[in-house]
Amino acid sequence: DSTEANSRRGEERRRGEARMRGGGGGMMDDGGVEHAQIPNSFGHELRACLRCRLVKTYDQFRENGCENCPFLDMDKDRDNVVSCTTANFTGIISLMDPNRSWAARWLRIGRFIPGCYTLAVSEELPEEYQGMCQDNNVQYFPPKRP
Amino acid sequence: MRDEEEDIDEIERQVRERYARSTHIEYGEEAADVEQQALLPSVKDPKLWMVKCAIGHERETAICLMQKFIDRTDLQIKSVVALDHLKNYIYVEAEKEAHVKEACKGLRNIYASAKITLVPIKEMADVLYVESKNVDLARDTWVRMKLGVYKGDLAKVVDVDNVRQRVTVKLIPRIDLQVLASKLEGRVVAKKKTFVPPPRFFNIDERRRDKDSGEYFEMVDGLMFKDGFLYKPVSIKSIHTQGIQPSFDELEKFKKPGDDMNGDMSSLNTLFSNRKKGHFMKGDAVIVVKGDLKNLEGWVEKVEDTTVHIRPKISDLPKTLAFNEKELCKYFKPGDHVKVVSGVQEGTTGMVVKVDGHVLIILSDTTKEHIRVFADHVVESSEITTGITRIGDYELHDLVLLDNLSFGVIIRVETEAFQVLKGVPDRPEVVLVKLREIKSKIDRRTSAKDKFNNMVATKDVVRVVEGACKGTQGPVEHIHKGILFIYDRHHLEHAGFICAKAQSCILVGGSTGGRRGNGMDAADARMGALRSPASILQSPGRLPPRGPQMNYGGRFGGGGRGGRGHDALVGKCIKIKSGPYKGYRGRVKEVTGVLVRVELDSLMKIVTVKRDDIADTPTVATPFREPRFSLGSETPMHPSRTPLHPFQTPMRDPGATPIHDGMRTPMRSRAWAPMSPPRDNWEDGNPDTWGSSPAYQPGTPPARPYEAPTPGSGWANTPGVSYNDVPTNAPSPYVPSTPVGQPMTPNSAAYLPGTPGGQPMTPGNAGMDIMSPVIGGEGEVNWALPDVLVNVLAAGDEGPGVVREVLGVCVVESIVGFQDVHVN
Repeated sequence: DSTEANSRRGEERRRGEARMRGGGGGMMDDGGVEHAQIPNSFGHELRACLRCRLVKTYDQFRENGCENCPFLDMDKDRDNVVSCTTANFTGIISLMDPNRSWAARWLRIGRFIPGCYTLAVSEELPEEYQGMCQDNNVQYFPPKRP
Repeated sequence: MRDEEEDIDEIERQVRERYARSTHIEYGEEAADVEQQALLPSVKDPKLWMVKCAIGHERETAICLMQKFIDRTDLQIKSVVALDHLKNYIYVEAEKEAHVKEACKGLRNIYASAKITLVPIKEMADVLYVESKNVDLARDTWVRMKLGVYKGDLAKVVDVDNVRQRVTVKLIPRIDLQVLASKLEGRVVAKKKTFVPPPRFFNIDERRRDKDSGEYFEMVDGLMFKDGFLYKPVSIKSIHTQGIQPSFDELEKFKKPGDDMNGDMSSLNTLFSNRKKGHFMKGDAVIVVKGDLKNLEGWVEKVEDTTVHIRPKISDLPKTLAFNEKELCKYFKPGDHVKVVSGVQEGTTGMVVKVDGHVLIILSDTTKEHIRVFADHVVESSEITTGITRIGDYELHDLVLLDNLSFGVIIRVETEAFQVLKGVPDRPEVVLVKLREIKSKIDRRTSAKDKFNNMVATKDVVRVVEGACKGTQGPVEHIHKGILFIYDRHHLEHAGFICAKAQSCILVGGSTGGRRGNGMDAADARMGALRSPASILQSPGRLPPRGPQMNYGGRFGGGGRGGRGHDALVGKCIKIKSGPYKGYRGRVKEVTGVLVRVELDSLMKIVTVKRDDIADTPTVATPFREPRFSLGSETPMHPSRTPLHPFQTPMRDPGATPIHDGMRTPMRSRAWAPMSPPRDNWEDGNPDTWGSSPAYQPGTPPARPYEAPTPGSGWANTPGVSYNDVPTNAPSPYVPSTPVGQPMTPNSAAYLPGTPGGQPMTPGNAGMDIMSPVIGGEGEVNWALPDVLVNVLAAGDEGPGVVREVLGVCVVESIVGFQDVHVN
């Protein structure tokens, strides 16, 4: 299965990279492009970060945290993962070039690193974490409710 | 230098390290406040391409492309979008189509021959539009099952477990007894609503405890039950959470006994949250149902998106208060006229009779039934729907033929079907038939015979004396195969229609040998309303007895009475006075409405002439010809016939008419003397036509001379209306004692210039100009028969009274004073 092979390869690569750079993302790559972890499965464990809408699996968040929102400390505390991410999201967008993509701009994810994002989440970030966002001078846009 | 360079390198490295991480952390530079409008795509932006891929693998494809991008840096696409609701396709954002093609090469999920379509700029924004579903899965939310045995069933959420994406819902169980019984040996009484009593006295079996919720359930076959409901843990994906509109019945079933609707307020509120928004309008009366200000009433002042400003009823509170739409509910008082705008009962209007929490009980305008609806579904309106009255060819109250043998009257028209009251006399049987089940409309004019062999035709008033509907009375709407359909205003069922055998009814006003009772009076009102004198003409074939009967009914509009008169004609020797056969003599063979068939004496042939054209030979034609005359004569005698009866018959009718009969006795002896011979002829000639001598109906024993039975009242009822100038005001003794309050008419008419004969005797006064006051004069004496209701104008004793005896001078028993007055 080429997809699986792809994923495995990707994973290995990522791990390799991780080992080299101590992280899945957020670090400058020599030749390649910095990017967030790519979800390695498609099942129910996929979760989306409530602030940046990055999509990864639960375990990936647990391990590496959210690349766009490090201050949420997902890698530190399991509860953070549960509170700051949700499995309830709609649609997936694989973002390769945030700077030039119109879709990214439209969805306001144009400033994040390449990765897989979701179009919309259904929940809001809990109050306390919103506070944390503000403390870190980070913007948070709650999902629009018509 | 080298050091510097190294330093510089070092610094560069440090700086890079320090700031590399923060490259992607935003510090409010994000175009947060820029309107979405400003972000619309322009020509400079990359385009969106739609690519076909393997169905069900859209997400997978997107992620694969991401991976590919990471692996190979020469991928020039910008992004890939996979929408949940769009199957089979993904969107790729790139500058050139070639880039897209390049990217898709080698992927298993995208076919090599896959189509790539460009998305127009205007539609680009729509691609990324996501309909955010507010999945508020709270407790007590109403949901509907998607799969399994309970598919489509309404359920209530009792527990939400977001982590595991599962909820526990409460359902009405659907247990298959057989299967269960075979599984368990126990005598589990499993019905549709399994009610297994909770354990009480003995120790709670640990096994019965649900480890998650800690509550006690009855475990049957691995399913948890409580209070009859089934508690089932299901995954969130298997339930519908949006747009759940529980129907009234479903909610009723869920209601636990003892739970009043208000207790269910919270559950109902979730209902409202699912409902269409924006149904509050300025001026609506609302009540707060949630929050601290619960039960506060007020009126809507202003409506914004989701906030409603209301002006509270209590003056102490500030002018307007703002509430969320969800916290308010429309409020109605009994007596409000409303219209239902959604739900099963949509379109009906009615009046609120009871308010029960969220539920209103409304009395429908059309069906006069009580219907229960949610307050949310109605708006105040003064519109009154009459409901549809016809579908296709069939209208309300039509007599229709269903399959071969059964027939019935349409009593109600619903959206697609009719309610038909079948022609089964003994017990009312209503069936719901569809349009196509009706074979045809029955429109034949038939007649039937009542209990005493009076002929009954449509529009006659009959009274039911046998059977279930005994005692009811009303005009006959339809007749078919000996079964009458009577419309009784007071009858509440079946839109007032009663089905009865003709044999079990008696014609009101028909002769029964004196058992008329109040038929006439009661019927009068109705009769008057129903019949207009002019309608007499409608019943050509009517037999005489009908006539008189109707008359007694009071204003039967003399419909058909004319017919009766006609019958008196049959066999008569007449002279044709106008038309092509003028001057001929002949014998009347048959009478049909306006036309008469006469057998000419001279020509041996039968010709058809108009009624007006023939004249009774013995008497001068003129009088007979005068419609008014007949009317006049009619009046006193045939209350119904009276006015517009252009038939001569009426005149002759007197003989036939009950009144006539009744009066006959006295009359004959006096005023009718001149006429008596002919009259006798008629009467004798057609004794059977008048068969029942409705004359006696009014309760006048035939034997009683001077019995002007009801005539007094009968007259009163007579449509002497035609002589409007008459009665009431005339000082005539005939007080318009019409039950209906109409001018006495006949009598008065008789005495007034208007009245032809001025008295029942008119016929007797054949030859006299009906309109001639002379008659009136004569009549004056003549009418004073016993039992005639008169208005005493004599000195000292004015007022209504009943003539008790006539002895040259009238002895009147005054109604008011209970004393005898002697009047002239």
